[in-house]
Amino acid sequence: MRERPWPRIGWRNLARNRRRTVLTALGLAVGFFAVVFMIGWMRGIMAELVENATSLVSGQIEIHHAEYRPDRSLYDTLGGREGVDVEALLRTIDADEAVTAAAPRVYAGGLVSSGEATSAGLFMGIDPGREPALTRFLDELVAGRLPEPGRFEVLVGDEMARQLAVGVGDELVLVGSAADGSMANDLFTVAGVFRTGLVEFDARTAVLAVGDLQALIYLDPDRIHEIAVATADPAEADAAAARLAAAIEAEGREIDVASWTVLNPVLVDYVGLAESMYWVFIVIIFAVASFGVANTMLMATFERRREFAVMLALGATPRAIVGTVLSEALAIGLLSLAIGSAFTFPLMIWWAVAPPGLEWLFGSVTLQGALLEPSLRVGYDPAGWTWSGIGLLLTAFFAALYPAAKAARVPPADTLSGL
Amino acid sequence: MPPPLATRRPLHARVLVLLAMRNLRRHVRRTVLTASAMIVGGTLLIFTFALGDGAHEQWIDSGVRLGEGHVTVERPEFRVSRRIEDRLPATVRRAAEAAFASPEVAPHVVATTAKLAVTGLASSAAGSRPARIVAVDPAAEAEFSPIDDQVIAGRYLAPDDRLAAYVGVELVDSLDLRLGSRFVVQAQDAEREIAGQLLRVVGIFQSGVPEVDQAFVHIPLDTAGEWLGSAGDVTNVGVVVDDSTAAAGVAAQVERALAGPVARGDARVMGWRDANPALAAAVAIDDFGNYLTQGFIFTIIAFGIVNTVLMSVLHRRREFGVLRALGLTPGQTGAIVLIEGLTLTAVSGFVGVGLGLAVTWHFFGGGFDFSALMGEMTFSGVVVEPVIQPLMRPARIAQVLLFILFIGAAASVYPALRAARLDVTEAMKFDR
Repeated sequence: MRERPWPRIGWRNLARNRRRTVLTALGLAVGFFAVVFMIGWMRGIMAELVENATSLVSGQIEIHHAEYRPDRSLYDTLGGREGVDVEALLRTIDADEAVTAAAPRVYAGGLVSSGEATSAGLFMGIDPGREPALTRFLDELVAGRLPEPGRFEVLVGDEMARQLAVGVGDELVLVGSAADGSMANDLFTVAGVFRTGLVEFDARTAVLAVGDLQALIYLDPDRIHEIAVATADPAEADAAAARLAAAIEAEGREIDVASWTVLNPVLVDYVGLAESMYWVFIVIIFAVASFGVANTMLMATFERRREFAVMLALGATPRAIVGTVLSEALAIGLLSLAIGSAFTFPLMIWWAVAPPGLEWLFGSVTLQGALLEPSLRVGYDPAGWTWSGIGLLLTAFFAALYPAAKAARVPPADTLSGL
Repeated sequence: MPPPLATRRPLHARVLVLLAMRNLRRHVRRTVLTASAMIVGGTLLIFTFALGDGAHEQWIDSGVRLGEGHVTVERPEFRVSRRIEDRLPATVRRAAEAAFASPEVAPHVVATTAKLAVTGLASSAAGSRPARIVAVDPAAEAEFSPIDDQVIAGRYLAPDDRLAAYVGVELVDSLDLRLGSRFVVQAQDAEREIAGQLLRVVGIFQSGVPEVDQAFVHIPLDTAGEWLGSAGDVTNVGVVVDDSTAAAGVAAQVERALAGPVARGDARVMGWRDANPALAAAVAIDDFGNYLTQGFIFTIIAFGIVNTVLMSVLHRRREFGVLRALGLTPGQTGAIVLIEGLTLTAVSGFVGVGLGLAVTWHFFGGGFDFSALMGEMTFSGVVVEPVIQPLMRPARIAQVLLFILFIGAAASVYPALRAARLDVTEAMKFDR
């Protein structure tokens, strides 16, 4: 035989009952969409969680004194009591190719009082010139502007502003325990109000220019607690952290460089758990879809008993019959894939580029302390798409095995004489 | 004279059912395959909801026990201000406690709490940190909150403790404290002055929730009363009820009992959804994912049902032609098809639900263990337990059955329309 006709016979059979073929293909296509969308949505959620965990307030890499974590003591500044040359250290960090931004920070705890009311606060000293390039929480303020260094201005969370009943231009007394053991206090002006959506953070945090905070708590200008570092992609953080550690240690300092995977290991676990859920999902969806294919193929082969009997009588082998039925199933699979892709990918592109919000459905949640705002944002996942497509074709193939075996065992003489 | 129509109808209905049933038996293999998809779907549906509802109930329970309960009564301003001036007036507190003890509400109540929660600053020689200071009646709070069991050093507060503090492990670390250490808390008192109080660490706990371990300090209510000048006053009274779905009803009852203070602006009754929106959102997002998955699965199943029933219609054009020629109306031929589709889905769906219940409780009645897949994790401020106790409420079963019937009906409509719209003369032609 020059050319095997079985695939063509199988393909042509799709047209025999178009409505049935389309319904079967639609079932599989919905399955394909379901898997691609759910994997994409999980990806989107993971990406947003990681982004929020690493760029909303924290950096993807944090550099501290070796003793700073987990106690976060006021005295464990970078370089110990002598401090470091902050500018030189920042230059070393900025020199790394993966680093997009780096900024120094100082932290202290204290009380914030508006006269009317008092609240406990965490003071965060930032460099207003560098910080906006690193984190997003100061990008869009609810009101006002960033604090200007040297003018004793403070930026408070919207929840704290509400609890203290203050707005831009109002004065606040900041009280904190200073590095020399005394109680330090000074008068600050509210320059602006920020909002992260993390209610606890918004209720407790007051942001100051780093120099003003150092002045308040009697910390030398060379003494900072942290340098937060951003990389272009969270996935690069581990490698960049290792390079930075090597570069800084080369300068002989006792320093701890930790990427977000070290700072928030549970989030990493959760991303891993989500990945393993993809497989469960693919298996469940296609297992349910396989019944539809099996049913259709069974009907299709049952109708064509006479045809198979004729083919066998003319000398076709049972293998050839199996080949025809399986090619028909694969053809249905390919058709489903085409239909599924036709509506899946436009939707995926839409939801990746401009994800519709789901605020009407549920509010923000926090997962392991990372903020997640509700939306249909999806992530692209070519590997997941490929596996979904392969899953679809395998489903069509395996669901047709039983009908194919039935068809190959049609007794030619009985079938032809019986009808 | 033909008999009047009224006496003929019951017979027809029976005949229609009979015709539909016979047809399901005609292609047993096809029926079984379609039914299998539905059975698998029904089983999955029950299993997913049992685990989902079970997990949510655990989240809600641990969330409300760390906070103010399923239903809480507090002053309207307190939720925003968290200030001691916005504590509950003593009369309102008594009225709320009476409402929780009333015969309509009491059977649902599992535990009650009355506490004073303020934000303050905790300081030691090592530094200062914002703290959430919760003043409690030690015996009652040990019943109410899981926090007393999460002790990792020392003990929980005891009824005759004074100046004792039970502190979250991360706060202990950041203030460089240990058991027996002294530290100072400062907060605004009832006179709006800053007041300080010396406390001694008697116990350290680890809840696993960062937001709690970094900030929570439990102290005896008597100590707080002297320190803040608030005597025995509290900022909220709350209860844990036996099932989170009962919370809305309990809240409504209590709100009626407190109609006076609520109208005067002295009290506000809140269910856990209002008091803890992040937790409500966590439950909603998880439910949304489940509904979406089930929606997809049942869409696929529905296509299978449409296919099966439609094929059985197309194969029986002559039969329907004959029935119509014998006097059946289009509505009646359509009804045969609808009955066929509905019976198929109802029977297989119910079998699936039964199987789902049996599988879930036979294999996972003692809890479904995810711990191989994940460690401890927190979601909107509650620890997600890796062992899920499945839960199935009658309302959920009813919802599932209705959903399955709806899918069956929706999937049978098109084939039924096709059967009803049959052209009798075309269908009766030989050889088609």
